[in-house]
Amino acid sequence: MLVDFELIERARSGDDGAFNQVVQAYRKRILGTIARLIGRPEDVEDVGQEVFLRLYYSLDQLRTSEVFEPWLYRLTVNAAYDYLRRQRRRQESRMSDLSEQQVLMADAAAGGKRSDEDQRRTRIRERVQSLLGKVSEEDRILLMLKEVEGLSLKELEKIYKVNENALKVRLFRARQRVLKAFEAEGD
Amino acid sequence: MNREEERNAKLDAMFQEYRAALPDVEPGARFMPGLWQRIEARRAASLWIFRRLAQVCVGATLALTIVMGAFLIPRLEKSSPVYSSSYVDELAADHPNTYVDILTGDIK
Repeated sequence: MLVDFELIERARSGDDGAFNQVVQAYRKRILGTIARLIGRPEDVEDVGQEVFLRLYYSLDQLRTSEVFEPWLYRLTVNAAYDYLRRQRRRQESRMSDLSEQQVLMADAAAGGKRSDEDQRRTRIRERVQSLLGKVSEEDRILLMLKEVEGLSLKELEKIYKVNENALKVRLFRARQRVLKAFEAEGD
Repeated sequence: MNREEERNAKLDAMFQEYRAALPDVEPGARFMPGLWQRIEARRAASLWIFRRLAQVCVGATLALTIVMGAFLIPRLEKSSPVYSSSYVDELAADHPNTYVDILTGDIK
């Protein structure tokens, strides 16, 4: 826990100052998680604000302060999931408006402006995002939380409120699908 | 290491590279003010909805009252009997003897 239970209790009872302190303690971690879940740094702050906005209006539903972190992760996962769904719809309509040549030209123009390090990061990001595109948004987020964020099965169990065995099965299947795509791309 | 393990190891390495390529994000200066703006905007929107709902309810109640006044009350008046005498008069008319008896002291 990055803050003590007493601060969360104060935030729950409507103390805006306490809520501000909670956000300040968690924002860096949450924004990092969102960045890795959605893979688009330019939209991270917007999704992050949405997470804390939902937290502000749902804190009174929190049973006890002990479950605050899984609760915050659940809100993060839901906001990231909503974003990915919106993004997919938007991308589909945007891409259908452009010709293939226009898409290639836009990609090349964007690539030319970046530094080598940025380009390497972008390549890794795009590769992982493309591999994760082979599984559903729910499984993609679950896989990310486990493999990239390093959350344990116990922590995931609290976030998803699903038993460990069911999570193991979902994770195994999702990982197998990603591995298959990884192999098809020629490692 | 067999082929399956090798593939798994490569995938794990790629996930770690991805983690390193996207480190925790330091929020910009506009993050907190932007968040509070959104909180206030939602609060104002909820208040607006509540006020609008209250206005609609008041309007509907008023309209219902007018409808009742215009249509129902005249109908009720028509259907209800008109009494020209008082309750005591009606009682006396129903029981004339008892009334007289009480007055003369025949009923004890």
